[in-house]
Amino acid sequence: MLAVAAASLVRDGDVAVVGLGLPQVAAVLAKRTHAPDATLLLEIGVFEPVPNESAMGIADPRLWVGSTAFGSMLDVLGAMLHGGRVTLGLLGALEVDADGSLNSTAVPTPGGGVRRFNGSGGANDIASCADRVLVVMQHHPRKFVENLHFLTSPGHRVRGRPRHDVGLHGHGTAAVVTDRAIIDIGEAGAVLTSVHPGQDPAAVIADTPIPLIEPAAGAAETAAPTDTELSLIRQELDPHGWYTAA
Amino acid sequence: MTTKVASVDEVVAVVDDGSHVALTGFAITRNAVAVAHSLIRAGRRRLRMSQVIAGMETDLLAAAGCVERITYSGGSLDRFGQLSGVNRGITSGSIVANEYSSLALTLRFHAAALGLPYLPARTMLGSDLLEPLLGSGDVRMAEDPFEGGTVVELSPLQPDVTFVHANVADELGNAQVSGPTWALRDTALAARTVVVTCEELVPVGTIDPDQVMLPAVVVHAVAVVPRGAHPTAVHKCYDYDRGHLQEYVQAARESDEAHREYLDKYVYGVDDYAGYLDLVGQGR
Repeated sequence: MLAVAAASLVRDGDVAVVGLGLPQVAAVLAKRTHAPDATLLLEIGVFEPVPNESAMGIADPRLWVGSTAFGSMLDVLGAMLHGGRVTLGLLGALEVDADGSLNSTAVPTPGGGVRRFNGSGGANDIASCADRVLVVMQHHPRKFVENLHFLTSPGHRVRGRPRHDVGLHGHGTAAVVTDRAIIDIGEAGAVLTSVHPGQDPAAVIADTPIPLIEPAAGAAETAAPTDTELSLIRQELDPHGWYTAA
Repeated sequence: MTTKVASVDEVVAVVDDGSHVALTGFAITRNAVAVAHSLIRAGRRRLRMSQVIAGMETDLLAAAGCVERITYSGGSLDRFGQLSGVNRGITSGSIVANEYSSLALTLRFHAAALGLPYLPARTMLGSDLLEPLLGSGDVRMAEDPFEGGTVVELSPLQPDVTFVHANVADELGNAQVSGPTWALRDTALAARTVVVTCEELVPVGTIDPDQVMLPAVVVHAVAVVPRGAHPTAVHKCYDYDRGHLQEYVQAARESDEAHREYLDKYVYGVDDYAGYLDLVGQGR
């Protein structure tokens, strides 16, 4: 459901830089369904991959299958992204705040220590330079925070300041898509736009400990996955259920 | 023309204690593992590492206590796991980390490659990456003198030596790399000394000029090391070794002691890289 909901927000014609994990599955699903003219790019220097099986990550050659061109980081993060040619970024995160800013560097441990993860990689560049960004992650209360442990990647606002004030262009984070809901990020703040079929809006709000606005008419219901989408994910895009089993 | 070919132990001798060494693997692909093993066996200390995305090669060096500082934009072993050696070093304070975004660090290498005083960019602004980097003196904030607005100015980053593991090279140093190349070329061209290890040595003149990633004139030495990136992948040569990566991650994640035991068995416990390949069933 998460991959399907995220895919639904990819527009036909988007030029998208895609982070590893769930974002890959969502992006490829969109391309295989309603967005055939979307162009997918990997920061490592891969243009338009058509992966036909789950990969262990962005550095796994399985993910590069069917590509139209290989280049460098300077091509993808430089000429394409910083050069203004990228309309969409798809990113995962350890933590997200109400501005849509992300932490992918480190989180505190219960013992008072710190556990380090992947770091920025190209995520900060994508969040800084893409016209709009979709954050794709599992819905867990500890992942929604008022103060990020580390602000790796800027959102629509940056610690409450408009991103333009710190020198960035574009909208930044436009939505946080989880396995339970779609939360839009805009001028009003974080808005619970829709919950997925079977989810109770009140329960979702209770598990989302950031200031979250409920639309006057209540949260809508996200469109259910079609049979085509489900079979694509289960048979081709993530047959081992690494990213989409829930 | 004089051949530049030497053994991997000979080519890593350009590295001294305290040298600034850049590597060009990426997570689980194209890691200079043979180089890392050789540096560890040579007992190098206080290395200053730089690498756009760190992988197993750097994690091995960190676990062996060779690394004092790392300048990078993060790293992992993809879904196999995190860089436990690097992360433990940073958390314990034995390794100082300078963390960038991938584009920012690539541009620092690119500036060094071109001999530019700095390159401006609109990235890392507003993030927690920026503040410590401003303190380091390697990054400054400035006003775009043409259009206005804020930019970061990135100083050049020049390694003493960059190692590249290529698919194919000739004895003069012309090197071919297949697949996407991330920041490999910028990291190499930024360095004072470039050392190539390769899967296969071919006669001079047989590599299509279209396919040469690093021309001989910038390459100082070549070592022929088949399976030199094991257990990571080399595009068009071999896949990553899933079982060995899992064994490594399990040991690395468990504790410093388990990580040391891995090094004792696979690095210190063999005479050279050929011995390691025999041990993991990859020898010829």
